[in-house]
Amino acid sequence: MYASRDVILNDKPTNRWLMPVIAALLAAAIFIIDTFSSLDMAIAVLYVVVVLLSANYSDRRGLLAIAGLCVGLTILSFLVMHAGNYDLSAVMRGLVSIAAITVTTLLCLENQTATQSLRGQADLLDLTHDAIFVRDIADTVLYWSDGAERLYGWPREEAVGRPAASLLKTVFPAPLADIRGELFRTGRWEGELVHTRKDGSKVTVMSRWSLQRDEKGRPLAAMETNSDITERKQAENALNQTRAELAHVTRVTTMGELTASIAHEVNQPLAAVVTNGEACLRWLGRAEPDIGEARASVERMIANGRRASDVIARLRALARRDEPLQAPVDVNEVIDEVLPLIERERATHGVALDVAPGERLPVVLGDRVQLQQVVLNLALNAVQAMAAVPDGSRRLQIATRIDGQEDRGCVLIEVRDTGPGVDAESLPKLFNAFYSTKKDGMGMGLSISRSIIEAHGGRIAAAPGEDGGMLFTVALPNPGKDASGDSLPEERRP
Amino acid sequence: MSPTPMITIIDDDESVRVATESLVRSLGFSARTFASAEDFLNSPLLGETACVITDVQMPGMSGVELQSQLRARGDETPLIFITAFPEERIRRQVHAAGAVGFLAKPFDGHAMIECIDRALGERGVAMAGA
Repeated sequence: MYASRDVILNDKPTNRWLMPVIAALLAAAIFIIDTFSSLDMAIAVLYVVVVLLSANYSDRRGLLAIAGLCVGLTILSFLVMHAGNYDLSAVMRGLVSIAAITVTTLLCLENQTATQSLRGQADLLDLTHDAIFVRDIADTVLYWSDGAERLYGWPREEAVGRPAASLLKTVFPAPLADIRGELFRTGRWEGELVHTRKDGSKVTVMSRWSLQRDEKGRPLAAMETNSDITERKQAENALNQTRAELAHVTRVTTMGELTASIAHEVNQPLAAVVTNGEACLRWLGRAEPDIGEARASVERMIANGRRASDVIARLRALARRDEPLQAPVDVNEVIDEVLPLIERERATHGVALDVAPGERLPVVLGDRVQLQQVVLNLALNAVQAMAAVPDGSRRLQIATRIDGQEDRGCVLIEVRDTGPGVDAESLPKLFNAFYSTKKDGMGMGLSISRSIIEAHGGRIAAAPGEDGGMLFTVALPNPGKDASGDSLPEERRP
Repeated sequence: MSPTPMITIIDDDESVRVATESLVRSLGFSARTFASAEDFLNSPLLGETACVITDVQMPGMSGVELQSQLRARGDETPLIFITAFPEERIRRQVHAAGAVGFLAKPFDGHAMIECIDRALGERGVAMAGA
């Protein structure tokens, strides 16, 4: 622990034996001069130098003893010099000396108390596992804790005096000017930094900066407390990776469930293309070719070909295994893109569809395919949940709207069904992995949907519908809510 | 019987419905279309059709159910089935009930013409053109 005191208090270990010797010699010299010279002055006042010297190496009790000794020597000299001859000025000189020694001792004791509390604080900084360092306004390291030595590998004497950012090759999450701006404005900053250790390895830290100001309020130094979150970051990344893979697997599984519907969705326009082609040939092959009918057939062929390729493009996007993106997404478009995929499923289950897209919805930030997956899952669940309900009362309602105040509230997607609903006991378990109310359900759909929505900073909830059935609500954060005026989400539209 | 036989097309998918109608008309028949079997059964022209081309899987009444409804009423109108999901079980079932054809989508134009031919032949109606 000495080392930390070196930096803060500049107290060199060699003083520990040199100082007492000097102090003792000095005291002896003063005593001899005071006792045996006939100088008419308060030589004993010089004992304060002995007290001052001793304050550097003595504890409280030692200092009191030394001070007492000095007072004793003063009195002894007085008694030897003035045995029986107490003239007033000599007594006054003696008293002044004793007062000086006493006052100096008291001041030293007070100073020692303050120093000890400083030392205690510095030792405490070294106790924490966090790396702590203090740097001045020019970024030069002034103090470097034991934790900083351990985390970064640079010993204190190598780190102190060097610019922190270049020593640690700091990678900042935002422009440094912005970070410093916040530090100077609010007195603190917090964020994730990537540092490079002495051995060249990288470390991700959660960094907290506090600004110290002088009495005039001018920035003086910043204390930086860094805790190593490299492992946590790695675990987080691995978790995100796994989540994305699982989302992909579940998506492909859902698509497997929809194979018949999807095949139909592609086959239907292809059938129309072929039949239109046959018809076209026959219109042209007539004794009097009917160009008008032939043209209409070809136009329908083109339209149907496009329809088939649109379906395939959507399927390819859903089946692709990409890293989740953060891009502006219009939730109404997401719903439009998903509905054709469940169209056949919906039609064969005799489910009426009611879509109420909200107007002037802000775009949300997220991964389009993953959001499609959530809507697909909720809509498909709703359709399948209504299988047991009598014909004519199966209704799937999908609505989007802004929750509360425009431009501020969340973007809501509501999926309602008129199925038998879920009993109160099962409701809290709905989003658990491997929990399914379906006979052959895998129980992954809602669990994955929840993790997707939560990764988007939103939430998903299930509740009994007002008229029976279930209501699933997805709430996605509105990026316009916190954005400043120059980055309204609408402007990011392509 | 009208001089140009009337052929009824029932399919819930509009694009297939319209394309089939065009093909049938290009063969010289008159055609009319319905989006569901129920619509057809409720139509006042029910008895005037020479042949019905119907999808198998539709929301509401399926093509198979339509067939049994017609037969139960004693209506012997020939039926041609078209389907995106050709299942052997259904093919056997509709043939047993007297279906003229069971075609997988996308169907071959010639196969359709043959079926229509057979259907009208059963009813003693000559092909009006091809």
